[in-house]
Parts: sequence; structure tokens; C-alpha cells
Amino acid sequence: MRIYEDLRVVQARLGVVQSMVVALVVLLTVSFWNLQVLKGRYYRTLAETNRSRPVPIAAPRGALLDRDGRILVENRPSFNVVLTPEHSEDLDGAIARLGRVLGMGEAQIRERVVRSAPPFGSVVVKVDASPEDVAALDARRLELPEVSIEVVPLRSYPLAAAAAHTLGRVGEVTERQLDSPAFAGLGPGALVGQAGIESQYNRQLMGKDGLRRVIVNSRGQEVAEADRRPPVDGPSLTLTLITDLQTAMEQAFAGKAGSAVALDPRTGDVLAMSSTPAYDPNRFTTGIEPALWSRLTGDPETPLMNRVIQGQYAPGSVFKIVIAVAGLEEGIITPTTSFYCPGYLSIYDTVFRCHKAIGHGMVNVHRALAQSCNVFIYQVGVRLEIDRIAHYARLMGLGTPTGIDLPHEAAGLVPSTQWKLRAQKAPWYAGETVSVAIGQGQTTATPLQLARLAAVVANGGRLVRPHLVKAIGGQAQEQAPPQPLGLKPQTLEVVKAGMCAVVNDHGTGWRARLSEIEVCGKTGSAQVVARARLQRNASNPLMQPHGWFVCFAPADEPTIAMAVLVEHGVGGASSAAPVAREILVRYFGTAIPAPAPSAAPSPRPLRAAVEREGAT
Amino acid sequence: MIDRRLFFNVDWVLVGSALVVSAIGAAVILSATHGGRSAGAEVKQLYALLVGVVGMLVVLTLDYRRLADRAPLLYLAAAGALAYVLFFGPRIAGTRRWLLVGGMQLQPSEFAKLAAALLVAKVFSESRKESLGLGDVLVPGAALGVLALLIAAEPDLGTAVCLVPMFLTVAFLAGLRMRAVVALCAVLAVAGGIGWQFALQEYQKTRVYTFLDPSLDPRGAGYQKIQSQIAVGSGGLTGKGYRNGSQSQLGYLPARHTDFIFSVLAEEMGFVGVAVVLALYLLVLWRALEAAQLARDRVGAFLAAAIAATLAFQVVYNVAMVAGLVPVKGLPLPFMSYGGSSIVSSFLGLGLVLNVRMRRFAN
Repeated sequence: MRIYEDLRVVQARLGVVQSMVVALVVLLTVSFWNLQVLKGRYYRTLAETNRSRPVPIAAPRGALLDRDGRILVENRPSFNVVLTPEHSEDLDGAIARLGRVLGMGEAQIRERVVRSAPPFGSVVVKVDASPEDVAALDARRLELPEVSIEVVPLRSYPLAAAAAHTLGRVGEVTERQLDSPAFAGLGPGALVGQAGIESQYNRQLMGKDGLRRVIVNSRGQEVAEADRRPPVDGPSLTLTLITDLQTAMEQAFAGKAGSAVALDPRTGDVLAMSSTPAYDPNRFTTGIEPALWSRLTGDPETPLMNRVIQGQYAPGSVFKIVIAVAGLEEGIITPTTSFYCPGYLSIYDTVFRCHKAIGHGMVNVHRALAQSCNVFIYQVGVRLEIDRIAHYARLMGLGTPTGIDLPHEAAGLVPSTQWKLRAQKAPWYAGETVSVAIGQGQTTATPLQLARLAAVVANGGRLVRPHLVKAIGGQAQEQAPPQPLGLKPQTLEVVKAGMCAVVNDHGTGWRARLSEIEVCGKTGSAQVVARARLQRNASNPLMQPHGWFVCFAPADEPTIAMAVLVEHGVGGASSAAPVAREILVRYFGTAIPAPAPSAAPSPRPLRAAVEREGAT
Repeated sequence: MIDRRLFFNVDWVLVGSALVVSAIGAAVILSATHGGRSAGAEVKQLYALLVGVVGMLVVLTLDYRRLADRAPLLYLAAAGALAYVLFFGPRIAGTRRWLLVGGMQLQPSEFAKLAAALLVAKVFSESRKESLGLGDVLVPGAALGVLALLIAAEPDLGTAVCLVPMFLTVAFLAGLRMRAVVALCAVLAVAGGIGWQFALQEYQKTRVYTFLDPSLDPRGAGYQKIQSQIAVGSGGLTGKGYRNGSQSQLGYLPARHTDFIFSVLAEEMGFVGVAVVLALYLLVLWRALEAAQLARDRVGAFLAAAIAATLAFQVVYNVAMVAGLVPVKGLPLPFMSYGGSSIVSSFLGLGLVLNVRMRRFAN
């Protein structure tokens, strides 16, 4: 039986279906043409960023060496545990397993992941992991495909807290720094110098990071390396420091707060520089714990401050050097000019005391320096008047930063009539000159400035520019030559002789005396509070004056000039001079027995003298 | 049982195109899986292809009208198998789609499509009206709706949706009035809307949302679409070379040997490869619809058209999905995607189409 059905409608409608299918396939073809040929370049770059990832190769930071090439700061290899959350099939599980292996809290890891993971990057979960951690993770590599170990150089300070302020420290770049041009080209997490030489020479020390382009699979694992630009190592910096002298300085300050700096008076090389209390920069390299940081920043003893360049203290009797130079230069006194010291000076309706109540008798400039006679200096200061004093103070480097190659140096203050008009909108009173002359009043200076002042006397009247870096990558650094100040040789000779007498001839600085080397110096004490208030609070250690001692040696051919400040040390003679001596002993390599107290110029204990008058 | 002369009427162009596409598919599967967890999948695919071709030849020996006569029985068997897997099938990756037969995983939904095709062809061919209204399509519509619901419940939305174009095409060919076609589309749209509200799983909704804006969730549901588009686009005119596609070889493409096989092809063979394979698909679909044109009776025309419409829908939807034009849905690409049930069912379907063409003169 053959039935012929009428299929005309079916066939007509099939034609419609056929056209639709053709149309759809044509449409698809056009879409693929658009996607693959017209937009191909765009998608190729997307595929490329998908599969290749830039991985910076950290350039090792340059080492810091002392002047003899001994290592002050170096890099040691350390292990970072890195987690790549991208494409982790089970991130929560991975975090839990990783937490168990490292003995870290899950929440701690999760916080790091959330806080710092860029959407397609990796997170450092633990810095400076122990070899045990690394071995444990290596054994579980298959369970934790999203975890990898990176070997990174870590900053290491073998001297620990010694010279901490000078060498500085490194830390992650801050957001504020990232905005500044000095840190252009760095990304978050970069390690940069945050203080001292590390900060001042950061750009040089960093070198130039290299770059690897690696091919990664969808789980973020590296499968091949596409290309590599090797890093340029940061050059090592040779400093002017002498490690042994530096350690001697640190030891001499054990248990005291204060600072000291030793210069080569001929060149301005900083031979040693120390500020106590200090901190251990090693604690910063792996990211400082917040608790330690707040302890350091909140400490009233300011361990983070470099007192040598940031501590501004009244120079006290050290300032008498300036007055002596100014008086001799201006012809107000000659080496033989004498004034009578009855123990006080009554002038401008005020009684200004000398620290020696019974008086020094007839005093010339030599004795005035040696025994730190206030009355002689008052007489000269009053005749010089404030603006000539200010001129000589500035000439010898006070009131402006020394220009040392360290960040955040303080300027100190040299008062003058102009300064007072500008700063306090008041005229200068002649009476104020009297206290300025003995280094009290508004005058302040940093220990580095006073060391440089000592160097001026030591090197025959030239102002040096202190500096710490001798050579970069073996290339000697050009240094500004010492500036001649145009002082008369006779002036310097007289002042130098006076400073020698301070230590060697019935002077206040006898505690710094060495038997074989002639040391010249000047004591001083910087009032912290007014004398009347100190007398009311005689037992409060924080109100005691700071003790100063500046010196240079040997007298005929000085190779070292130094300033020592012992905070609340009361008198420079009793507190700072012995510290200076300890340092000088190590510098000259002579183990000299301490001088007998019988060599003291005055039978009266110094302490009593100090209590009578601040300036000694 | 079979007239040997009939073999001269087998459409060898159709068979040849399908085999070439399948061979290309196996090669792309090899590229997509070598060295990975699914390594060796192309060998299994070739075995399935062999089974499919044998099955196709067996189907040729049976007159399609006999098969259509048994459509209600086959339909019940398919519905039973679907109900069985839904309740007793093993749970694999959160779905119950598989039947374990002698250590092999079979996907009943793939074979249910064939039963559905036979059933709609049979039911519509028995209507002798010149033009059909909505009331006339209610019974076959409900029958397919039951199958679609059973498949959608597995859940396997992609395969369930395949029944819609099949039903619409056959109803249209059977003379459904244009007004009714429009009405039917409206009904389906409303049903879709209700399904969206109540039946769709959260992950399915997310897929649609992220299709509309993939950047909503680039690491999640939008990831597949973005990575597939990157793979396709970066292939360029001539491709990155066999086994050289970074997107597929480095694992950025998900489901790269199954639902997203076409993006591996597009990445490694470029627009040229895409054009060749699309041309082959067009040839397959064209010849299948031609078989419907040439059919000697309504049931044959409807059967061939139902199979062709389903294949066309799957090819067009899958390829459009790979290009990022439509939301991601788990729908295999016929002849190319890795999967034994899919390839066997596709070749059985071709067997039915060839059957109709072959017997166009026969009694």
C-alpha cells in the first residue's frame, strides 16, 4: 500500500527552518571573525597577561663597611613563605593547613591575605621563616600547591644597637613615601631605608631590581621562564667609621643617656658616632611588631632620636671658646689682658655669679678657659655685644646644620638682635648677652656642631664638613675641603693653649688626661631648668644639667676631635670628661691608668662647685 | 530484512562530514587533555565513536516507520530510565544524570532526546488537519514537558532545553498557525519566567547575571565566559598552533574537553579552523534538513526535522556560548565534546535521519 501524503506545507515550512539555520551559522561565523580577527590583538594581550607574570628579582641592598672594610651592615639569605590565593581550589583549606604547619593562627593568615593580596598576586604569609618551617612546607608541597618559598636577602646588622642611629634601619615603604618623587617607581611592600645612612643613601643602596617574566598556569604555579633581566646589585658603601672606636664609644656610654661624636679634624671624617639609648635595627627588617614600635616611640628617653645631630642643647661653658676667639679677633682682649674675678659680676642691676664663689682673682684668657672663669667671659661678652658674638658663633658653624650626610639634622640656635626681633618681636636686652656669653640662654647646639667647633681650634681655623661616606662601590667620594675661616694664627694658638690647660694644667678637664698623649678640651654644663628651680628640686635627676666635654688630641698634630654629652650628668668635668677619656684611650690604643685625683686643681670637690653655679 | 539496494541511498556526504568533525573533535580532545587528569580521553572518545557508528548502522536496518510506531513504548522506557536515575542514580558532582551499566556511565537524557523525536514525529504525523491550533499541540507538548522536567530535575538544564526547539520545529512544520506559534512562544516565555522564579537553582541564576555583566564576579561564574572569550579572541586568524594554546594548555579554560571544546579549537586553529568546522556543521545540518525535504511521508519529515533541529540548537547554542554571546549552560557540542552518551546518541540520531532519506522511495 502506497500512500502519498500532501507534503507541500511541510516542505515550504522546512525551507524557513533551513534558512534560519543558515542565517544562524553565518551569524556565528561573523561573530568569530569579529572576535578573532578584528579584536584578536586585544584578546592576545589579555591572554598574555593571563599567562605571564612579572616577578621582580630583588637587587641585594649594598653593604655598609667601615673605613677598613669591616662589615657593618650586610644581607643574609632568608626564607619567605608566599601564598598565591589565585586559583586556589580550596583557599580556606589551604589557609588552615598552612596555619597548622607554621603554627600560626588561621585568622592571622587570613588577615594578611585580605589586607595585602592584589587580586591576581601573592601574599607573604611569613617572613624570615625558620629552616624547620621550610622543611615542613617542602614535605607538604603537593598538599599546598598554592604555597611557595622565596629566598630573599634580609638586612642584617651584626653590631646590633651599636651605631644604630648612624647606620639607620630599613622598613617597608610607607604610603606617604610612595607619593613622594624620591620613591618613584617603587611599589607597596618595597624595603627602603627609614633612618640614617640607609635612608640618606637609599637610592644608591637599593641598586636596580631585576625582572623575570614567568609563565604561570591557572593555579598560579610557575611552569617556565619567558625572559629575565638581572638585577643590578646595590653598591657597597665604605663609611668613615672605625668599628673599634664605635664599640668603645658605645661601651663608654653603658648605662648613661647621651651621645658622642668623633671627627677627624683635618677632613671631617666621622670616626665614630653614638647616641644612647639606642635600638636594635634588626628588629625592623622583618617588619617591626606594633608593641615594640609604640614602646620605642613612646619612650621619654627617645631611643629613635639621633642625639648627635638632633639633640639641641645649651652649649654651656664650651661656648667660652667662641667668646675667647671673638674677643681676641676683635681686639677686645690680648693674650695678656686680665680681669679680676671676685666670684661674681654685678652689671645691669644684676649679679652674675662665677661657679667659684671665692673668685679666681686676676684671670687672663688662658686661665679663663682652663678654669672656666665666668667673670672673665662676662667681661669680654659684654664688650663684644650680642651681634658680634652671633657672628663668630655662626662663623664657627653654630646655628646652621653641618651638612652631614644624614637626614633630619637640626640647626641649633644662635640668638642675635635680629633673631629676637623676628622670633619674639622684642628688642635685645644687654643683660641677656651676659648669659649667652657662657652658653646659656637661648643658645643651643648639637654635639656634632660642638665637635666641629673643637676641630676648628684643632686644625688651625678651618671649618670641616662632617661626612660618613668615604666611597660608594669602591669609588672615593669627593669631599668639600675644609673652609678657612680667616682667624689669626695667634688667636688659635692662645685658645688651643687654654684648652690644653683645661686637661693638663690645673683645669676643669683633668679627668680626661692621658699620660702619653696631650689632650686639649673644654668642659661645660648645659642647664636644663633655671638655677632657682634646680635648687628647689635638687634631687630630681631629670632637672640636673647635661655634662659636656669637647676635646681634640694630640695637641700638636690633632687626629681626633670629639664632643661628648652625658644627659643629666650634672657637670661636664665629672660626667663627660671620663667618658671622653675612655674613648680616647681606645682610640690611641694606650691603656693608661686613670689620673690621680690629687692632680685636681681645686681642693674643693667639683660637685660642690657645680651646685653653686651651672656653668663649669 | 533489509534491501541491499537501500545502501546506495545512504547519504555518504552527511556521514562523512559527521565523521570528519568527530575526528577533529578527538584531536582537539587530545590537545586539551594530554598530560592532565583526563589524559587518554580521545581514545575513549574514539571507542564511543565506533559504538555510535555501529549503532547508526543498526538503526539503518530498521524502518523508521516501525520505530515511530513503537515511539510510545520507547518514550515510556526513556521516562522510566530518567525517573530511575533521578531517584537511584549515583550522585556525581552534585547531579544525578548517570546510569551505571556494566561499569559504563550512560546518560539516559541523551537517549531520551531520540525517543522524544520519534514521539513528536509520530503524534504530529497522525493529525490530518490542514492547520493546527494551540489545543492540537497540548498532548505532545505535555509529553515532552514531562521528559524535560525529569531532565531538568537532574539537574541538566541544557539538555532539557533542547526539547523546546525540537517541539517548536515539528509543531511549526505540522502546520501550527502563525498566531499559535507566537502564542506558544509567549507561553514558553511565561513558563520560563516562572521557572526562573521557582525552579532555577541559585547557581543557574548567577550564571545568567554574570553573563549580563561578567565583571560582577570575574573569579567565579563569569570566569568561564571571560576565559573562553580570551581563548577564542587570542586565537586570531590562524591560531596559536595545535597543543600551543596558552589558555587551554595552562588550564585557564574550564571544561575544555567537554562543553568548551570549541574554544580550544578556536584558540589553537584560529578563525580558519572555526570556519572549516562551522562549514562542516552547516553541511551536516543542511543534509539532515534535506532528508526531511525528501521524506516520503510526514512522519519521516518530522523525525528528520526533529533530530536536525535539536542538533542545530545544540551546535548554535554551544558555539555562541563559547564566543560569549549567550549564558554559560552545560550543553555538549554534538560530535566534538568528550562524552560517550553524547556521541553515541548523536550518531543514532544521524541513523534516523539517514533512515528517512534512504527509504524515500521504498515502500
